[in-house]
Amino acid sequence: MQIQPVLAALGRHRLATVLIALEIALACAVLCNACFLIASRWQLTRINSGVDESSLAALKLTGYDDAKADDLNARVLSGLRMIPGMQSVSVINAVPFGEHAATAGITLDAAGQHFGAVVDFYVAGPGSFQALGLRLVAGRAPQADDYQPVHSFVPDDASVLVTRALAEHLWPGSDPLGKEFWVDKFHFRVAGVVAHLARPGGGEGGPGKIEWSVFVPGQPGQQLAGVYLLRAKPAQLPRVLRDARAAIARIAPDAVVDSQASRTLGDLRQRYFQQDRAMAGMLLGVIAALLLVTALGIVGLASFWVQQRRRQIGIRRALGATRRDILHYFQTENFLIVTGGIALGMLLAFGLNLFLMKHYELLRLPLYYLPIGAIALWLLGQLAVLGPALRAAAVPPVVATRSV
Amino acid sequence: MLKMNHLSKVYRTEVVETYALRDFNIDVKEGEFVAVTGPSGSGKTTFLTIAGLLETFSGGEYYLDGIEVSNLNDNARSKIRNEKIGFIFQAFNLIPDLNVYDNIEVPLRYRGMKTAERKQRIMDALERVGLSSRARHYPAELSGGQQQRVAIARALAGSPRLLLADEPTGNLDTQMARGVLELIEDIHRGGATIVMVTHDPELAARAQRNVHIIDGQVVDLAEEPRFHAHAAEAAHEYR
Ligand SMILES: Nc1ncnc2c1ncn2[C@@H]1O[C@H](COP(=O)(O)OP(=O)(O)O)[C@@H](O)[C@H]1O
Ligand SMILES: [Mg+2]
Repeated sequence: MQIQPVLAALGRHRLATVLIALEIALACAVLCNACFLIASRWQLTRINSGVDESSLAALKLTGYDDAKADDLNARVLSGLRMIPGMQSVSVINAVPFGEHAATAGITLDAAGQHFGAVVDFYVAGPGSFQALGLRLVAGRAPQADDYQPVHSFVPDDASVLVTRALAEHLWPGSDPLGKEFWVDKFHFRVAGVVAHLARPGGGEGGPGKIEWSVFVPGQPGQQLAGVYLLRAKPAQLPRVLRDARAAIARIAPDAVVDSQASRTLGDLRQRYFQQDRAMAGMLLGVIAALLLVTALGIVGLASFWVQQRRRQIGIRRALGATRRDILHYFQTENFLIVTGGIALGMLLAFGLNLFLMKHYELLRLPLYYLPIGAIALWLLGQLAVLGPALRAAAVPPVVATRSV
Repeated sequence: MLKMNHLSKVYRTEVVETYALRDFNIDVKEGEFVAVTGPSGSGKTTFLTIAGLLETFSGGEYYLDGIEVSNLNDNARSKIRNEKIGFIFQAFNLIPDLNVYDNIEVPLRYRGMKTAERKQRIMDALERVGLSSRARHYPAELSGGQQQRVAIARALAGSPRLLLADEPTGNLDTQMARGVLELIEDIHRGGATIVMVTHDPELAARAQRNVHIIDGQVVDLAEEPRFHAHAAEAAHEYR
């Protein structure tokens, strides 16, 4: 079926054509952006924390006297290590998917002029590096004398490990080992690079910055106390964590377990992304509803047109159109309307994306979403018009002579 | 060209069976101009829709251009309608969404004709019906007579071997009717076979042969004069 005569006839039904094309344009814009949002969220939930999540749990204590933090650390470390199945217990300030503890802007010079990035510091005591299961890709793992006393939130002068992602951001193309950076008077030296280590929390700071974190060896003390990293075999972990929480009452009756923060890392991760999953589910619902409404709009208009054009269809059949010709006529017509809608919809999609980028920290819509959205709508249109078009094709030629 | 033997057509509804045609026999030779008359409801339109392959029949035989058509499938019937048959209807039956040019082009496109040839044929046909200046008009912008001339141009452009006209002047005044008949006669002179249903004895008289249908059967007026009176009466009612 050629396009020109279908287009010519459509010109006589501009209002209905434009309305349905607008509906499709809107669907196209929302579809592209909603899919992109879902994909972005989904991407976030898949972040690689870089640690052995399934073997790790966090235990957080509050309410104790800061002055007795050293004593608390000692009691907890030795007490929890007695629990059967416990592979290791170490002190740490934060865990992936947990609360942020030390977030700061770093500079690449002592004078604080050359800004580097806003990063998260994991300050962690002996055993924690091994317990986390971080994968070293350059330099060395922390040695015993790397664990410096922590007077403020980080040691004054420390040999640290950075992630590959952070190293590439700070010193693109050059060897990060031996490089230095500062937070105010605090001084850091890169002694090693780890493959991955996500910030605490989840995807804050936007995609690409998820792994801007620094591992700082530190000596447990007043400034490094209260949060403990437990490691056990995955199958035993929930039981070990339960036992540990129960044991606190005995080991440290002066402290209170923060039950929100004291969970397995798998559990923390799950909870962290709950909202994202809910959001993705809601968006999927919106998409489904929108596609349904669009499809119903197409079915409605096409059915109306088939009814309205019964006689015209009979005339075409009398003049030699085959059933297939009639079917193709309505399919072509739908294709043209949907194409018009898609063309407008792509502009709308970009407009909507710009708006979302400005207000909701969304990235630029990748171009490949547009052809995918277009194909989805073309398919939807063809599917929706099939029923009415088949009914049209079934109109007998005799309708031309008898005004039924 | 068109030969029906003992043809019958039954319309069945839940309650009644109507024999629109029964033991219907007709033989129209190639190049003939036949006028079909008969009272309302006698089966004239039914005969024409079967002759034009718009409908199937219930019994008997129908040879169109030597081919027994009852075994043809829907596509083959469409192709024959498209290539061999031209239709002119009482209600003109133009497509309201298309302008005059595009209307005439419809059957030519279904034939898969090239653009240049389509254009040539459309312009020639419009020239012959005297509407060259109205190519871009829509049917609603034309008078009844002009619309029927467009319909004739649409039939003409396909150079049909057989032209079927169902009361082509039924909706027109005498003046316009005359113009339309002249065009049909013109097509006949061009070699086409014409079968025209009409209520108008004056128009029927200009055909080479008249066929009279009563109650779904062809009757011979010469042999059965009592039907003649009946027919004239019926025709009179319609004027
Ligand atoms: N689709 C149909 N269903 C039932 N009866 C029909 C149908 N079409 C025509 N008829 C009947 O067939 C008979 C012949 O109709 P028709 O061929 O239209 O007559 P004419 O054209 O001579 O006025 C009439 O009795 C009419 O009511
Ligand atoms: Mg009739």
